[in-house]
Amino acid sequence: MMNAEMYWNPVLETLPPERFQQLHLKKFQRIFQWAYEHSKFHHKLYSEAGIEPGDIKTFDDIRRVPKVEKAMMRSVQGKEPYPYGDMLCVPLEQVTEYHQTSGSTGQPVYQPDTWQDWEWLAESWAYILYAHGFRNYDRVFIPFGYNIFIAFWAGHYAAEKIGCEVVPGGVLDTEARILKMQELRATALMATPTYLLRMAEVAKTKLGIDPARDLYITKIATGAEPGGSIPATKKRIEETWGAKLYEHSGATEMGAWNYECVAQCGLHVNEGLFLTEIEDIDTGELITEPNRIGKMVVTAFDRIAQPCVRFDSKDIIQWSPIERCECGRTSRLIKGGVIGRADDITKVKGVLFAPSSVEEVVRGIPELGNEYEIIVARKGEVDDITLRIELLPEHKERINAVQEELARQLRVKTNLRYDLEFCEYGTLPRYEVKSKRFKDLRKGG
Amino acid sequence: MVEKYQVKLMAEKIETLRRTATELKQISGGIQAIDRNADRILASVKMMEINISDVADIITEE
Repeated sequence: MMNAEMYWNPVLETLPPERFQQLHLKKFQRIFQWAYEHSKFHHKLYSEAGIEPGDIKTFDDIRRVPKVEKAMMRSVQGKEPYPYGDMLCVPLEQVTEYHQTSGSTGQPVYQPDTWQDWEWLAESWAYILYAHGFRNYDRVFIPFGYNIFIAFWAGHYAAEKIGCEVVPGGVLDTEARILKMQELRATALMATPTYLLRMAEVAKTKLGIDPARDLYITKIATGAEPGGSIPATKKRIEETWGAKLYEHSGATEMGAWNYECVAQCGLHVNEGLFLTEIEDIDTGELITEPNRIGKMVVTAFDRIAQPCVRFDSKDIIQWSPIERCECGRTSRLIKGGVIGRADDITKVKGVLFAPSSVEEVVRGIPELGNEYEIIVARKGEVDDITLRIELLPEHKERINAVQEELARQLRVKTNLRYDLEFCEYGTLPRYEVKSKRFKDLRKGG
Repeated sequence: MVEKYQVKLMAEKIETLRRTATELKQISGGIQAIDRNADRILASVKMMEINISDVADIITEE
């Protein structure tokens, strides 16, 4: 299956794994030194840990480098050089881009980028889209409200870089976006799983358009939520759109560090641009074996304005048991994408609970709509978990059978019993970018 | 697959591009239309360094 035209950069994407190790060490040394010498925050952090640039000689030395958490970033921001504070590694005049995190876990973090950083972000996305099969003959529709959130901005510039024709659908509403996609015969699309399902619902119910039959989309890039790697959600989206759905993961502070290729056997780490470590959630021990979930720590080797060096992302991932993808890329594979965030994976009734496991069940039952809401609360001394779902109007008479099947699958797949609350179709919240379907009221959330 | 590409030669040409764009900035007399466009070229050069030059010595050292 190997063919140079399959890769954005065959030199890096087919590099032998032992060469990647050499490259990682060399590039880590370089970004560590950059951060140490140009950021007061990093200099202090590393000095207090007793580590200087010359000390990084092996991978074990990298593991000694203190991690950076989002809360640490928040604590230095809002100060001079305003608003980025002491993490900034370049003069303010060299910052050409401002973005910020979505704020889903608290106060948003500011993200400054130089023009070179911005080019880098587009480059990392070019790897993603090229692996998804985006080519210069594609007309790419981006139904994204361009704003201070970074999502899909880089996708726009990467698609241009590949040579695609890009249609920015930002200011249009959902119906207008669907009609524009149809009018222009767009062949590719980028959106969150939540919004892909929402668009399809609007197309069918309000416009009488069946995306699989009446539109021309053949490939979709998705991310920002776990859905793209949840089999039941992926299947729903692919069937609804009549297109292949490809997942990637990333974050404002890190960049986009992995991607699915057309062979769809996992998510490739972009080894040429990032160092990805997985640590045990409790002990911090390095995980190298497959099928064991842990917390991701990531280093972006080449982002300079606000470096990302051993960033504790809190994303929960696991290595794939597949050693080599049939596409010929030599990078390590992630199984099942980002499973969730360490903040969201919590114990309910003493059982480890990941909200994504509920999504897999809900989206796997055809009589249920796409939306759901999970609410965990404390009733007296015990946890109480409620699942709100919508029954599709055409299946109203099957409510008892659906309820029984849903309860059974939830018990089997999550080891928990739920209070099931059927809501009228169309009444649960709909989202356009990132959804917030899990509410843990025990934390006051 | 890596062996079929002229990685070392590409790295040399990329270095020439960097040198040329940098020299252009040095003789620009501060003309913004030169400096800013040179900066954009240098950002693209950096991407080629990430893609090729950074790995060139690792591939070629045996």
